[in-house]
Amino acid sequence: MINKKALTSEAYLGLFLMLILAVLGIWAKGFYSINNVISLLNAYSYILIASIGMNMIIITSNIDVSTGALISVVCIVIAAFGKIGLPFGLLLPIAMLAGVILSTLNGLFITSLKIPAIVATLATTQIFQGVLPLVVEGSIYDLPASFTWLAFDAKLFGMIPLSLFMCLIVTVVFILFMRYSRFSKKLYAIGNNRTGARLSGINVNKTIVQTYAIAGALFGITAVIIATAGQRVTTTMGSGLEMTFIAAVVLGGTNTAGGSGRIFGTVIGALILAVIAPAINYLGISPNWSDAIKGTIIIVSVVVSTAKYRKRKRKLCMSAE
Amino acid sequence: MNGKRKILKFTFNKALFGIWILIFAAIALKNPSFLSAPYIINVMLRNIVEIAIVALPMTLIIITGGIDLSVGNIMVLAAMLGGISAPFLGAGGAIMITLFTGLVCGFVNGILIAKIKISPMVATLATMFLFLGLGRGISKGGSIYSYGFSEFMGNTSIAGIPLQIWLFLLLAALFVVILSRSILGRALYGIGLNSDAVRYAGINTEKILIGIYTVCGLMCGLVAFIWLGRFTSIKYDAGIGFNMKVITIVVLGGTSINGGIGDMKGTILGTLIIATLNSGLTVLNIPIDIQTIVQGSVLIIALISYAIINERTKRKTVVKINEKEELI
Repeated sequence: MINKKALTSEAYLGLFLMLILAVLGIWAKGFYSINNVISLLNAYSYILIASIGMNMIIITSNIDVSTGALISVVCIVIAAFGKIGLPFGLLLPIAMLAGVILSTLNGLFITSLKIPAIVATLATTQIFQGVLPLVVEGSIYDLPASFTWLAFDAKLFGMIPLSLFMCLIVTVVFILFMRYSRFSKKLYAIGNNRTGARLSGINVNKTIVQTYAIAGALFGITAVIIATAGQRVTTTMGSGLEMTFIAAVVLGGTNTAGGSGRIFGTVIGALILAVIAPAINYLGISPNWSDAIKGTIIIVSVVVSTAKYRKRKRKLCMSAE
Repeated sequence: MNGKRKILKFTFNKALFGIWILIFAAIALKNPSFLSAPYIINVMLRNIVEIAIVALPMTLIIITGGIDLSVGNIMVLAAMLGGISAPFLGAGGAIMITLFTGLVCGFVNGILIAKIKISPMVATLATMFLFLGLGRGISKGGSIYSYGFSEFMGNTSIAGIPLQIWLFLLLAALFVVILSRSILGRALYGIGLNSDAVRYAGINTEKILIGIYTVCGLMCGLVAFIWLGRFTSIKYDAGIGFNMKVITIVVLGGTSINGGIGDMKGTILGTLIIATLNSGLTVLNIPIDIQTIVQGSVLIIALISYAIINERTKRKTVVKINEKEELI
């Protein structure tokens, strides 16, 4: 019993991650220098925060391919406010609010019109992407120091970036939330069997819209971390990121069919994705190979977890007979 | 009953056709220079033909309830390997390598989806990263340039019409026949509606799925020549927007992303609508950003109307299959 519990896909992933980290410790000189670790963790924190939101959406057996465009929009929104000189304490709630509004639109679009999530968010991607260049010409630049406060000055104990601390809070809150709250049970129920969930008294549409809203708030936090990294915010800050988030979720063992998956898997999946790029650099491999290696790791992990799932299913069938 | 169904199906594609005529007429009225034949052939149709060719096998895939997010990246990888090998192996070798790359990439997708049973979206998302990354790694992030044969494919005209449009017409006819007139086409709808039932009926669904993903890869390889010839150089990230454009066209053409419903003629009409919008809005001097919004809005309007119609069509399709079997 204990054996079975220990060998979850998260455990395999964790082992794999430790293997990577050990290899890096031996062969990559300087990988564990404080500067490198902190810059890696900074990238990790924004990938993880958004991936947690994506994970919740995928558990309900929906998906969001507009996240990248949505984050670009939020980046520009807070850059416009940051230009006036608003402090970080106001930028964060503004970003979260903007994220919630845009993501709720996605949710409403999917539920009220009964359009499959991938197509609906594909359409909203085009609209988000199209609106941006109309409002802003290329980029907002020369942002004041108050805007980049998070990236350069906000350090706990003089070295740990605040963004990492934010990521830690979000992760812990959501691990607890997804394990113990009543709301999270509804998400799994909807993902497993939508009609069954509806018949057992869950307001499916409302729950899905709420899920998108919560995810939107997380996308907003991610947008703040991305936007405040420099003094210039362009209109394509987030483009393409949605694929990284989905990959982190899938790598973490969440089935895109919905109804399964844990936040902890995503925590490890996102860390693997965040480690790859700097790891390759320190191992002396050309950074041009990083995407290929990412793809290979995702394929292998998905193949292994699918094979395991099928084996378990067959065992269940046999024991039932 | 029979007559009624015929009318419904007829009006469905005709509605798309009507929308296309409407858009076309509106743009032509605003700017009559749009109506010239050379412009329509050499700009409007020639610019969309790569997407249009890949949309044909993509329709088959989406009808089975699958999706392929990696098509653009297969195309780029195939074009790159062809372009790199051309100086060493000559045109013949480059052609073989390009087509073979497309074939293998599609086959890998098919195996992952049909044999290992990974959901199509996850499988092709992963291979998307892989193909993108291979392209980037092999080209070292640089550009790969066009060679003799791809230039021929991209820039030749026969009887005043570019070669790639002839190619598209030929393939479109072929795919229309496959989907609507063959046993294979029937099986594809069946897989989309109820894969298990089709398998129990004695059809080898795995083989069919591997087959269509491989054909899709092969078409990406074919398109790679045209793309490379038309732009003279290609970089690893050229295929990123391509995937979604192909899917947009197929969905606009009335194919349900849930599978089981769809029509090749709808896809062709969807292609024409997007082509007209793209080049028409350019003629009207509307900036490219508004074009993106317009495309998104057209997609949304189409989706809303399909969401209403599909519910009804789905019921009818089930009835239709039942009736067909009774007749046999």
